[in-house]
Amino acid sequence: MSRAVAIVGSGPSGCYLAQALLKADPQLRVDILDRLPVPYGLVRYGVAADHQGTKAVIRQFERLFERQGAGFIGNVVVGEDVSLDELRQAYDAVVLAAGLSGDRALGIPGEHLEGVHRAGHLTRALYEHPDAEPLPELGRHVVIMGNGNVAIDLLRLLAKTPAELAGSDLGAGPTAWLEGSGIETIDIIGRSPAADAKFDAVMIKELAKLEGVTIDVVGAGASDEEEGAKKIAALDAIHGHKTGGRRVTFRFGLTPIRLEGDGGRIDEAVFRNVDGETVSLPCSAFITAIGFEAAGGLPRDELVGSAAEPELGVLADGLYATGWFRRGPRGTIPDNRADAQLLAARILADLEASDTGPEKPGRHAFPQWTAAVCYDDWKRIDAAETASPPQDRCRVKIPSREAMLALARQTKEPDL
Amino acid sequence: MKIMLLYGTETGNAEMLAEDIMAELEGEHEVECRNLSDFEPAEFDAGRLHMIVCSTYGDGELPASAQPFAEALKAAAPSLSDIHFAIFGLGDSEYEETFNFGSKGLAELLMSYGAVQVGERVTHDASGSDMAEDLAFPWAAGIVALAGEKIGEAA
Repeated sequence: MSRAVAIVGSGPSGCYLAQALLKADPQLRVDILDRLPVPYGLVRYGVAADHQGTKAVIRQFERLFERQGAGFIGNVVVGEDVSLDELRQAYDAVVLAAGLSGDRALGIPGEHLEGVHRAGHLTRALYEHPDAEPLPELGRHVVIMGNGNVAIDLLRLLAKTPAELAGSDLGAGPTAWLEGSGIETIDIIGRSPAADAKFDAVMIKELAKLEGVTIDVVGAGASDEEEGAKKIAALDAIHGHKTGGRRVTFRFGLTPIRLEGDGGRIDEAVFRNVDGETVSLPCSAFITAIGFEAAGGLPRDELVGSAAEPELGVLADGLYATGWFRRGPRGTIPDNRADAQLLAARILADLEASDTGPEKPGRHAFPQWTAAVCYDDWKRIDAAETASPPQDRCRVKIPSREAMLALARQTKEPDL
Repeated sequence: MKIMLLYGTETGNAEMLAEDIMAELEGEHEVECRNLSDFEPAEFDAGRLHMIVCSTYGDGELPASAQPFAEALKAAAPSLSDIHFAIFGLGDSEYEETFNFGSKGLAELLMSYGAVQVGERVTHDASGSDMAEDLAFPWAAGIVALAGEKIGEAA
């Protein structure tokens, strides 16, 4: 008898989990559900368009569906199309790997002014997520609040000249938007000292390749601790990098206290520095990149908060969580791989130990999922996206759900 | 030929490539494929060719699964003068300063204990247009041919 496992979310955590499960037990029936008609989650919509090397893990995930037998069930929203309880009844184990798609808020006055944007919203628009809002007008003076890798990704993309985006999968719309942005200054602000910044040093080193900027690093300080010293050395190395007129300034130890603006539009961000003094930065746009939180149909905080074994990701009997959904918005793709491998071992042990009742129906319990997108459907979307990209792009993403679904259904008989 | 195929991986890409190389070679050779995290320096064997697939992570560092092996090797400081190895690197030229430093560092470390490198270290660029296996399969075939002579001589 073969056991059935449903994984909610086809991003790196969900795919690595399926990979580890099927490697250990090729007989398992593993389905990966996604709310979108397309797989791979943050690899497709979160990893920067100019970091194609990082997206190479997709080749492993393709193998998961093509050779290891995992099923992709896209365009099905848990919490809308199917309840979590219904899933749990149909599968022996359900794993929540839905990530964290909401932007954390700063919680300061003025955050709702026009011109204040959240990093996740902006990157979804840049990377043409079907649910993205239109790209906003940023004006000439941009402030990025946050010092994680997402903040650095945004900084790098906003700072790049069109030629520097060759080889990426940045779409025509976002490319034209960047080209016409007219940004003159980008200030990137860390609440912590540079030594405690969350970005990886290698992300800072990469900025030394920017071709149209002048970089200043203000107040990076020093550190006795190895990781901190590495970050500061990387910052020191890019300080003074001068290849063009767009000014990029790193500032540290600034706590945002309020955002101000006349007529409902931001024109100034106000901070407190480490000496307790007030520091103001004029700006036309203020982008918060300070982490992510749960959004969408699953009551994540409640589920994780009441977990039986939160460290491993055991939420309840037959219900598990992995990746950012479990841990919070920390850790890179390899961290999530390690997390998923540990959880896979636990799930296999639990399945082994549990009573073998009647075989669970898995996806066959849901004949109503007629709008679901399977892996072969996705491959038609994928083929359309990669068939004839412009010379300096590796893919042209299809940005709307309707167009994705039209391609997905192209060779299907109508469901009657 | 007896081949020990080892991989050092962080995201799983090197592991997948090692499995592909194994599938290529195992028809004609006796191949064992192992994660470097499950391999002890004492297991090096003069009668085998050691083929290593190793990525690079972070700021030119060894990938996570190769790090405990490198530490164990430094601690044991064995003489590897009768050991033959070949190495294939995975990297990303987006990070040009440290491109493929993982495989480079591991090769240098092995040679510092006297291990003999067979053939050239070939590297794949994740930001390039080649598929890793399109470089790795010819590399592996070439290495096996070269090593046949060398390991034969040594024996």
